[in-house]
Amino acid sequence: MFKVGSKLFLGLTGFSTLTLVAYLVFVERLALGGVALSMVLAALVGLSAVIIMINDGDSEVQPRDAALVRASMWPLVTVAGFVLLVLGLVVAKVYFIFGIVVVLAALTEWLVQAWSESASDDAAHNESARRRLLHPIEFPVIATLGLGVVIFAFSRIMLAISKSAGAVAFIVLASLVLLVGAIFALRPALKTTLVSGICVVGAVGIVAGGIAGQGVGLRADLVEALEEGHYTHRECGEEKSKYFDKKAMKTLSLRTNPIAVVELRDGVLSAVMTGFNDPQKSVSVPRGNAVTFIFRNFDTAERRMVASLGTAMAVDTNTEGDKEGHSDTNETCTQLIPQGAEQALTIVYSKPSIAQEAPLTLTVPGVEGQAIEVVVP
Amino acid sequence: MNHRGSFGRRDTTPFSVVMVKVRRLGQRVLVATGAVAVLGSCATNAPQDTWQPKGPNAKMIDDLQQPVFAVAGIIGIIVSVVITYAMWRYRDRGQPIPEQTHGKPALEITLTVIPALILAVVGVFTFRVIFDLARTDDTELVINVTGQQWWWEYDYPVQNEWGITQPIISSGQLVMPAGTKVLLRETSRDVIHSYWIPALNGKRDAVPGRIHTLRLEADEPGIYAGQCTEFCGLSHANMRMEAVALSKEDFAKWIANQQAAYRAPAEGTLAKEGESVFLNQCVRCHQVDGLKRPDGTLAIAAPDENVWSGAAPNLTKLMTRNTFAGAMFDLLRDACRDDVWKAKSAEFGAKYLAGVDETCLNVNDLRAWLRNAPEVKPMYANPALLADTNGKYRGMPNLGLSESDIDKLVAYLLTLK
Ligand code: HEC
Ligand SMILES: [Cu+2]
Repeated sequence: MFKVGSKLFLGLTGFSTLTLVAYLVFVERLALGGVALSMVLAALVGLSAVIIMINDGDSEVQPRDAALVRASMWPLVTVAGFVLLVLGLVVAKVYFIFGIVVVLAALTEWLVQAWSESASDDAAHNESARRRLLHPIEFPVIATLGLGVVIFAFSRIMLAISKSAGAVAFIVLASLVLLVGAIFALRPALKTTLVSGICVVGAVGIVAGGIAGQGVGLRADLVEALEEGHYTHRECGEEKSKYFDKKAMKTLSLRTNPIAVVELRDGVLSAVMTGFNDPQKSVSVPRGNAVTFIFRNFDTAERRMVASLGTAMAVDTNTEGDKEGHSDTNETCTQLIPQGAEQALTIVYSKPSIAQEAPLTLTVPGVEGQAIEVVVP
Repeated sequence: MNHRGSFGRRDTTPFSVVMVKVRRLGQRVLVATGAVAVLGSCATNAPQDTWQPKGPNAKMIDDLQQPVFAVAGIIGIIVSVVITYAMWRYRDRGQPIPEQTHGKPALEITLTVIPALILAVVGVFTFRVIFDLARTDDTELVINVTGQQWWWEYDYPVQNEWGITQPIISSGQLVMPAGTKVLLRETSRDVIHSYWIPALNGKRDAVPGRIHTLRLEADEPGIYAGQCTEFCGLSHANMRMEAVALSKEDFAKWIANQQAAYRAPAEGTLAKEGESVFLNQCVRCHQVDGLKRPDGTLAIAAPDENVWSGAAPNLTKLMTRNTFAGAMFDLLRDACRDDVWKAKSAEFGAKYLAGVDETCLNVNDLRAWLRNAPEVKPMYANPALLADTNGKYRGMPNLGLSESDIDKLVAYLLTLK
């Protein structure tokens, strides 16, 4: 009743059941991996059922001719995959997932090879059948992996060297690629071994550079940036900050509907809100909810908007969550922006106005006597 | 209807007698079901009926949907009749297959152009209504509406022309002046909710981080029921709300009372004891504006540290509303509630403004709420199961209060008006 095909699919079904159970028990429940494995399982159950129902298409299995069977590395790779898989259960999830991938890939290769060897009496034909089936998968996968390694290595180099050296490295490498490519194109008669030799040397060079780059570590300014929080350089005065980010201006996301648009026009600060026909001097803000203000500067001087956060704000000292992240001082601000530009400022006011000693305000340094009151009921 | 023609046949065999009875029964059941369905859709006491507009915005929608419904209904009936006729007339009686033709351009073009014209006309009117309903430039009063699992918060921004000089905050019931173009500025503190008072306008989603506007206007004073119409989790079905329209004079009284200062209960009363229970148990989530701790400092609630959405209803004027817990429960006993809901327009305002007193308080539901809130309204408030929300509640937890604490709290809550 069970022929080669049904045995195979039943085996795969059993295997994926085991992996699914192991995944749920050891890795995590209700995760993407579990869903994916369940899908594989369901598909395999369906396929097995079909194969058993049609009795493997009634095909006669030919007696295997020992001369046609070649040595195979796939059993070995499969075992290695299993080892990874088991190791992953103990050590880390990555190995487990990698193990699954290796086992599945090796089993597929093994499977197709075994099938091709019993396809006919002609070894050459069998091999070409195998290639026809697997090359369309093997080539792109291997190419992606190879290129991925090279690109990753190159990125390590770029992260390690300074910004200007990075530009030079990029230009040199790109010119080299162009040059070598041009030579290959102009000399179609070049030996294939020579061509692939040059490519391999180039790739190995980049990978070696990448390993070296990884050893050196990130360049200084990136290390610094990693250590800084979003609010490290919160200089809310009239002066221009060294960390002024010109690219943050006039971004499209500013158009999503804000709680109020605060405009500075002719030295007057006012809040424009849908529903209010006249500009307002106070804005009501729901407590404990992220709200976004937009500051629009129509003044000729560069200006920023500063939001006072009140004394009661300091209660939230949890910078881990970084919901507001401004627990150390009681104000936050936009950057200095030139005439006609605009910036957004998102704030959570977690305490009501009655808890504050002074009213919460929005002000512009350098513009006296103008403030928008923020009312938190 | 007279069914005798078809069912009154004399037949002597017992079997056919049974069959006739069965058929008659079947027909009666059908007629009864149909009647129930038809009458049910005409219910007069259906507060969330979309076919009963009570204000200009809803009227605009109604004026659009009635003719469209009529046109679509007539076309639907014609199509069904023609199909039924064709099925019956040309049923298979063993006749030869008729001559087969392919394509009738004139007919096909006509049958495409007519619906296109109908849709174009409907489209023109629909677009007009859509744009009229999106207007905000004629607003007379702005109210902020914030949705969260599973209740609505309202706050009234400072608007001196309405006597609103300091923030007013409320929940469950939206109080607004009748005959006034009110604009809601909606947002949400957690997931997407949707605000819908069918008698006053269509739906509008409340989306975190965004402000969406919805026009509301009620012709007459009264209560207009609605409910959250965007699935928002466990108690979505219990996330209700009511719009309460008051005459302009009554609204002014309501505004004045909402801004009136807090009055602490007199020393030595049960309510005073309730105040201290409240300070111990409730103030970490619920704000009562003006409430002071024994040391004289203002009690400031910290719902942001205890509740996932960052808010719990402000209870300063709890007893001026008629519902609680997302308008799921009434604060008024049935008889008192009927008195308010069924009041004539002219008398409604005074009855609503009376608020809730001891004789009218729906003490059973309120006590049940204080005893174990998650038991009467499904909420994620089991302290053992809050890993997903960093230990914060979604809803009000069971606080394990004693019955005597509940007595005190009820006495205290009754003073909040
Ligand atoms: C952990 C926070 C928390 C605590 C503590 C708490 N509540 Fe609540 N309470 C809530 C939340 C959240 C709601 C809204 C629940 C809903 O409607 O879905 C609520 C609703 C209410 C309501 C209905 C209010 C309205 O307008 O709908 C009342 C009344 C109430 N609570 C009273 C109390 C009292 C009295 C105490 C103290 C014994 C208390 N609560 C303690 C979180 C809390
Ligand atoms: Cu909702």
